[in-house]
Amino acid sequence: MKRLIVSLAALSCLAALPAHAGWQDKLNNLMNPESKEGKILSGATQVLSSSQEMTYQTECTVGESLALDSMQRFGKPVNNEALQKYVNLVGNAVARNSRRSTIPYRFVVLDSPVQNAFAAPGGIVFISRGLLNILDNEAELAAVLAHEVGHVAEKHALKSIRRAQFLQGAASITAATMKGSKGQQFESMIGDMQSTLFDKGLDQGMEFEADQAALETTYRTGYDPSAMTTVLEKLKRQEATATKNGSWFSTHPPLDERLARVAAGLKKYPDRASLAKLPTRFAKFAKGGKASKTTK
Amino acid sequence: MKKTVFAALLMLAAATAFGAEKRWVVSEGTTLKSEQSVSAANLADLPVGAELTLVEDGGRWLKVQTADGKEGWVYAGRVADAAPVAEVGGGDGLLGGTMQQSQINTAKSDSARSIRGLSPETAAYAKQHGTPEGLKKELDRILARKVSDKEVKTFLKEGKIGEYAR
Repeated sequence: MKRLIVSLAALSCLAALPAHAGWQDKLNNLMNPESKEGKILSGATQVLSSSQEMTYQTECTVGESLALDSMQRFGKPVNNEALQKYVNLVGNAVARNSRRSTIPYRFVVLDSPVQNAFAAPGGIVFISRGLLNILDNEAELAAVLAHEVGHVAEKHALKSIRRAQFLQGAASITAATMKGSKGQQFESMIGDMQSTLFDKGLDQGMEFEADQAALETTYRTGYDPSAMTTVLEKLKRQEATATKNGSWFSTHPPLDERLARVAAGLKKYPDRASLAKLPTRFAKFAKGGKASKTTK
Repeated sequence: MKKTVFAALLMLAAATAFGAEKRWVVSEGTTLKSEQSVSAANLADLPVGAELTLVEDGGRWLKVQTADGKEGWVYAGRVADAAPVAEVGGGDGLLGGTMQQSQINTAKSDSARSIRGLSPETAAYAKQHGTPEGLKKELDRILARKVSDKEVKTFLKEGKIGEYAR
């Protein structure tokens, strides 16, 4: 009976999902225990007692800790305040139209040649200089940032480590408990999250979901959502020669499948070509050698 | 029996998805307008999480009805066909309060965080990890770099984006 109620709750959640989120796929996937949806259904009670119960404050601690480790691995922020401000404006423009608009978001350009973007829980979003340099307009930047905001909104990183020992019982940490066994569990969880975000990658279903969220969010903000297609096509052209370790190539699903799903999703937006792309404003801040300068 | 129940649930889910005539406010600072224009008169302020009934789909502008019966237009970009994610404002095991209350909690925790820099918990994590001082300062700078709603609106206006498009 309990399982039936949980199933009902999970199905209700799926039923409430917008059509663009590929709900038919999700319903079909419920039958597959290896899919994201199947795992959520079978472990619904675990999910409900973990990521959905973590307070925003604890989520911020997780995100800030992960942000420190990210900079240690990928490099410091690019030393260009105008660029950082611009990326924050684009990011916040899409974030305020996301499904989780009430938390503050921060967007950071990291001085790394590896083409990547990733999001820490709590709303700190990173994009590398390497990825920024292959973009050509503001809509493309908005698409990348909206994809990452989608991960934050749906708490994908937290759900990916929902079986972490830290999340059993009261999932909170204080400066005092950081030194004890709860602190060890917290560190172990951050390590697992790093491994997922930077090496193994999130569940493919989560990536497809973030792509569709990006289309919807960029469209509703007023950017041309087909920018997501051009970003993926650019990455595809880079794939043969790019650094794979820790990049979008190693942590994201195959580009052909993403392109196909994005193309299907774009059919929802027939007037997309009339929307903003803004190559000139993008070039003013992100081109002209500013973003490509390395800082020591 | 199991299969029958599951099939019925799938049909229920599908019917719910197809029959959705509701929209939810997802953006802060959303207003109900008298006409399909950003410069039209404001009829009401619509808080994040407010449920609206769709009356007419006018493309980029939607005619909607609020819970208290007011009718007007809202820019389509500011609403979604799924409710926004609720925040856990505090305590354990419960979703924290109303959407507005969680916004207050969020704002409080965020302003406190900006004043003091890294949270004590993050600072403790950094200390145990031997995180270089320079990286802690970088994270401080990241957290201090705020963007106001007014700045975002100006940015969208300058770019003629969304409701500011011609």
